[in-house]
Amino acid sequence: MELLGTVVVLTIKSLIFILVMFLGAAYLTLLERKFAGHVQQRPGPLHVGPHGLLQPIADALKVLTKEDLVPDSVDKFLFYLASLMAFVPAIMILAVVPFGDPFTVFGVEIKPYITDLNIGVLLALAFGSISLYGVIFAGWASNSKYPMIGSLRKAAVLIGYEVALGFAMVGPIMMAGSFSLREIVEAQQNIWFIIPNILAFVVIIFCILAETGRTPFDVQEAEAELVGGYITEYTGMKFGLFPLAEWYIATFVLSAITVILFFGGWNPLPLMGWLPIPAIVWFFVKVFLLFMFFLWVHWTLPRYRVDQITELAWKVMLPLALANILVVAIWIMIFG
Amino acid sequence: MGDMVKIKYVERQRLTNKELILFLDFLKGMRVTIKKLFRKTITTYYPFEKITPPKRFRGTHAHRVKNGNEPPSFKVIEKFMDIKEGESRCVACYMCQQACPVPELFKIEAVQTLDGKKRVVRFDMNLLNCMYCGLCTEACPVDCLIMTDIYETASYHRASCVTHMKDMCERAVDFDRRRYDEPDRIWIDDEERSKLWGQIKWS
Repeated sequence: MELLGTVVVLTIKSLIFILVMFLGAAYLTLLERKFAGHVQQRPGPLHVGPHGLLQPIADALKVLTKEDLVPDSVDKFLFYLASLMAFVPAIMILAVVPFGDPFTVFGVEIKPYITDLNIGVLLALAFGSISLYGVIFAGWASNSKYPMIGSLRKAAVLIGYEVALGFAMVGPIMMAGSFSLREIVEAQQNIWFIIPNILAFVVIIFCILAETGRTPFDVQEAEAELVGGYITEYTGMKFGLFPLAEWYIATFVLSAITVILFFGGWNPLPLMGWLPIPAIVWFFVKVFLLFMFFLWVHWTLPRYRVDQITELAWKVMLPLALANILVVAIWIMIFG
Repeated sequence: MGDMVKIKYVERQRLTNKELILFLDFLKGMRVTIKKLFRKTITTYYPFEKITPPKRFRGTHAHRVKNGNEPPSFKVIEKFMDIKEGESRCVACYMCQQACPVPELFKIEAVQTLDGKKRVVRFDMNLLNCMYCGLCTEACPVDCLIMTDIYETASYHRASCVTHMKDMCERAVDFDRRRYDEPDRIWIDDEERSKLWGQIKWS
């Protein structure tokens, strides 16, 4: 009976997370379009609803009612699988991301996370990597030139940044002494891990931009060169899932993980702990700011070449990540 | 051959170490975008908000009518023409067609009336082929063919993109009523101009 209760609660909780993430991602598209517009001194979507507020709903309706074409010569199974492979793992990272401490409402203890695995960081890394198979499958299954080039580029970039990403996460894990994201946050009550880990933070920013295909490293789409890159042959909602997964859900979730690793998760900002703001709000404020930072970078910088990205990843970011481990080791030796 | 073409080799500007390490060029770009983010938008909310173009704008063509403001060249030819007051002052000289880069878009026909005068019976322009260069209006010796400030020319049928003499006359009457007396605002220090289209900062 107790097992059944746990299953029901977990199912409901997962459904809530997924639905909220869907709606959130829809509104992140609006946020991005507004930001992109104002950076270029135009207002962005303005017509649907007050100040364009209903635009994501109109977009969703449009994408869902589009004809779902599958070209004749594609590998049908992989073609369908690819869009799911990109989307499902990206949203599954949410399973290990904690949004706050457990709190009590009307005598019921509510945990704002799905599970608290003791290998949370590793699981997030693993799902992040699986989600990239979607891009590579899409390129292969499309049986077309541009998607193939796009996904091969992504594969080339992937080899570079995944190594640096893994090493960059070692620093906070060493300081917290745990792989559990919740325990990492609890270890940051006095000082955020950004202090000795600043090098790792730079590496993580680079890796998230590369993993989510945002602009300085968006070689897999490269709309100026490759039509649409790996999504060239897709239509309808299968097309919609890729940017939704990569640009919004993956960026949001990885921002959340970065906030947990470096900015103290749901701990309040320094000197502002006395404010009556719940922990979960602090967390979302930080994640929002980091997300806006990614948007800012995206709409500012031009695109790197593939060889430049791999060069940067292997020659700059990997040594930086390793140097960070050394710095953190010395920090731990000195301060405890 | 080698002496004919001179090649100048330009050294690429190298980044200094400080710029490389601190991503200074990135930060410069990001400063620009964050500045622009908080500026006022410069767009117009188009279908609901329309800017009147300058008077010299090269929009849809129109025919000025005979209304007493004709240039002296028209007075010379007038006695050979069968044109009543309020009709197009076109004299079918084909100058516009001669000047046009796509002459096929004009269809001009004139007939001789019983009293020996010349009467223009047809002046059609297929604006689908027009590139709006304005050479025809410059060629017109009687200041008849002009271009107006109308720029919304889309329609559902190709046939309605062909403009005829009668609607061109109406368009010119309307255009002259609205803007004949308005001075040309071509100087950048014109205050009215800045109010209408904003001050342009030349780099």
